[in-house]
Amino acid sequence: MAQNKPEFLKGALDLLILKVVALGPIHGYAISQRIQQISEDYFQVQQGTLYPALHRLENRGWLGAEWKDTDTGREAKFYSLTKKGRKHLEAEMASWERMSNAVALILRTAE
Amino acid sequence: MRWLSRLFRRSKLDAQLDSELRFHVEQQTAQNIAAGMDPDDARRRALAQFGGLEYIKEETRDARGTHFIETLLQDVRFAFRILRKTPFITAIALLSLALGIGANTAIFSLIDAVMLRMLPVQNPEQLTLIKFRSPASAHLRQSATDPIWEQVRDHQDAFSGVIAWSPETFDLADGGEVNNIHGMYVSGSYFTTLGVRPAAGRLMAASDDVRGCSGVAVLGYGYWQSHYGGAESAIGSLIRLNGHAFPIIGIAQAGFFGTEIGVLLDVAIPICAEGILDGQNSMLDDRSSWWLEMMGRLKPGMTVEQADARMKVISPQLFGAVVPQDSDATYAAMFRNYKFFVLPGDTGTGGTYGLREQYRQPLRILMFVVGLVLLIACANLASLLLARSAARQKEIAVRLSLGASRARLIRQVLTESIVLSGAGAILGVLFARWGSALLVRFVSTQQNQVFLDLKMDGRVLAFTIAIAVLCGLLFGIFPALRSTRVDAMSAMKEGQAQAAGGRSSSSAARWIVAAQIALSLILLIGTGLFIHTFANLMTLDAGFDRNNVLMVETNIHNAGIPEPARAVLYGQMLAKLRTLPGVVSASQCWMTPLSGRQWSNSVTAPGHPLPAGVDPDTMLNWVTPGYFETMRTPLLEGRTFEARDSATSTPVVIVNQLVARRYFGTQSPIGQHLIVGTVSSGTREMLRQPIEIIGVVQDTKYNSLDEDFQPEAYFPLSQIQQNVVENTAFEIRTAMTPGALIPAVRDAMGSVNKLASLQFTTLKQEADDSVAQEHLMAVLSGFFGGLALLLTAIGLYGVMAYVVTQRTHEIGIRMALGAQQGSILRLVMRDAAIVLAAGTAAGLLSSIWITHLVKGLLFGLTPSDPSTVALAIIALVAVALFACYIPSRRAMRVDPMVALRHE
Repeated sequence: MAQNKPEFLKGALDLLILKVVALGPIHGYAISQRIQQISEDYFQVQQGTLYPALHRLENRGWLGAEWKDTDTGREAKFYSLTKKGRKHLEAEMASWERMSNAVALILRTAE
Repeated sequence: MRWLSRLFRRSKLDAQLDSELRFHVEQQTAQNIAAGMDPDDARRRALAQFGGLEYIKEETRDARGTHFIETLLQDVRFAFRILRKTPFITAIALLSLALGIGANTAIFSLIDAVMLRMLPVQNPEQLTLIKFRSPASAHLRQSATDPIWEQVRDHQDAFSGVIAWSPETFDLADGGEVNNIHGMYVSGSYFTTLGVRPAAGRLMAASDDVRGCSGVAVLGYGYWQSHYGGAESAIGSLIRLNGHAFPIIGIAQAGFFGTEIGVLLDVAIPICAEGILDGQNSMLDDRSSWWLEMMGRLKPGMTVEQADARMKVISPQLFGAVVPQDSDATYAAMFRNYKFFVLPGDTGTGGTYGLREQYRQPLRILMFVVGLVLLIACANLASLLLARSAARQKEIAVRLSLGASRARLIRQVLTESIVLSGAGAILGVLFARWGSALLVRFVSTQQNQVFLDLKMDGRVLAFTIAIAVLCGLLFGIFPALRSTRVDAMSAMKEGQAQAAGGRSSSSAARWIVAAQIALSLILLIGTGLFIHTFANLMTLDAGFDRNNVLMVETNIHNAGIPEPARAVLYGQMLAKLRTLPGVVSASQCWMTPLSGRQWSNSVTAPGHPLPAGVDPDTMLNWVTPGYFETMRTPLLEGRTFEARDSATSTPVVIVNQLVARRYFGTQSPIGQHLIVGTVSSGTREMLRQPIEIIGVVQDTKYNSLDEDFQPEAYFPLSQIQQNVVENTAFEIRTAMTPGALIPAVRDAMGSVNKLASLQFTTLKQEADDSVAQEHLMAVLSGFFGGLALLLTAIGLYGVMAYVVTQRTHEIGIRMALGAQQGSILRLVMRDAAIVLAAGTAAGLLSSIWITHLVKGLLFGLTPSDPSTVALAIIALVAVALFACYIPSRRAMRVDPMVALRHE
């Protein structure tokens, strides 16, 4: 399934995770679901990349984590955005925007 | 340190990761069920979607950042397990590493103590040595006269403080057998300028060191602890040195050993006290007695160069004021031309006895030697690990195909080797502590006890850690690279996993062994040279028979006898000694051979000028009749001294062959004349009139066994007007062990004069002491050469045994086809012979270059001495062939049936 999907651009997954987590505390499974839904099934996050990424972001201090009960009463690890993470997300979004604008500009002009 | 705390919460984090991932799978399963799958199917699908659980865990742990440390710990644990599995190999490896690293640490800690370590005083980097020389000379003068020191002390403006000192042994006993302690004359500024604090009482001040002082004493901390139990009551008590009492005013701080390397400081007294102890022979105002070393402390912000420039400016003024009174014009001009040289002095001085200068070269060579031994040990370990990794090829292939990266496996193998070398280093440090203390005992002689503070300082520790890690990498990297380069598929598929990789790894092992052989040969040649040197020294004809001679160094300074009466007293002593049972003959002289003291002056022969450029300096001595008989120095021509040579008869002299040859060539010198002391170099004048030569004796060694023979001239004591000093020596040839005669001699001397101080030694002991350095080199290089040979033999044996095991199958086939035992032996030994020949050739070539560096330490042979080189090669080849023969014999005994069935 994933093989015919494009590879994530370097750093893009981090950006998506941060953006999704910014909406409120959320566990790993839900993050992958959310990304898949919002992108209308375009992105399917592999668990093999998701969890390492989550732990890496946590390690950098951009994500905080807390063990809480879910709606179904199961205990799960909920991630939330830290202050540092929010700042990083804003900076990343700005630069992503600039980059995609630039790419779009080139694509349009070169036609 | 977040990663550190996380490291310890590792298991907790792992459990959390587990439940986080399990939660994910459960959610997925639930969703699959909701989508209409049956539960089993749903779970299977969820797991399949998830991918490799363990793989994800691994990746996630990596992302956590503590992974490196975790795997390191894991690797270390694994390494211990592997090492425990092969206890014999591990023990050999540890032992050779401990010896190798320990020897390196021991030698390095000596180098550190002798050459590198800064003095334990305040701001040692500000300290400088103050030396001087005449522009014409290449050598700096080691010591100054007291008048020069006083000029520097009173007129210099380049330093914030200057100090002077002179080491001296003092006798605690009032006559009888001596009880010496290591003392030092120091200037009043000594302790304050160095910044040494008192441990108790007070230290010297400038006011304690003024001419005509009554003297005070400061004890070294160690001496205070060992002889006064560290009691405060020591302060104010009296200590008797050479028969004079000095009040103890204080104790120097712990860890202060003076400014000279290798010399222990038990007691310090002010320079002015020399006037008390030496009385009329005092050197205080003598402009020709060179005995004080000087140091200065730089003013803050001043460089050594600036101080040097400043001291050079004031040199003419300072030296001009203290020209020796009796010097002739040439000497005075040279003296006025002396220039000061200021040198960095943060590590103190090499010592009056030249410990640093004498042992700089030997220590460097020993460092090189133990370095080579360590390399050989490393090579052994490399081939050991190589052989073992060949045996582990299957395991490694499995791990590679399970997805382990090669880098990961290399790291694993390297961790193993560093664990090994680390453990070896710990053992090595223990070995080094014992070894370096043993080394210092080797360097110490009866007359010159060497004291070194051999503590493990940061530098030594850093050195040990560095070589341990380096070793681990060195012997680990090659097997690590080699063993992980396997084709996983073929290694696992083939029953004979070693067939392909094994052959190449055994050829690698062969190269390693060839290198070992080369290194061993270099060491063995060195060993041979040093042992040969020592043997040459021990067997050389020194011009006297060193066995069964008891020497009684006698000092009558306590007795206070004026110079004219001394000869009479000496005569009584000698007469008494000659009557003792067990005494074959006895005599007296001033300068005992090999004692390190010397008396020399220039000598001329009227009508027989020396060729230009020949130094007229001749070693002098005064002796009594019976001296040459007692020493067994052969008389070659003329006669020896007799009773008829008296103060009133014609002045006579006996010369050695060298003097006879250099002045008179092939002519007989008997009846010719010599004049002593034409150019005064400051030594006290003696006989100025021509003295008649009455005899020629064989050349004898004067300062040490390893020097060239020197020109020598002997005068009879009876004709000496001056220089009948308070210290002299009696030589007694005994019919028994010299030591057994000591009590009788002590009583006999005491019965003549109770106050005479006596120190006993033997000529044999003095001879041995004079070659302490060569002894050290011979013993140590012998030990390390033997060790290298042993290690190489083990390495060679290991590789050959491995090769034979590998070729068992092939040998079986050959034998089944009718090969004879002899041809099998040839087959295996040919392999070994090639390795041996290559290693020997390489070793021989490099030794030509390397042994040249030790030229200065050899005696009586050249670095390329053919017999030594040949012997080294024979020893190496013999041991190597023996090491190969055992596995080869096993190859010959291969039973073809067993070997073939083994398949």
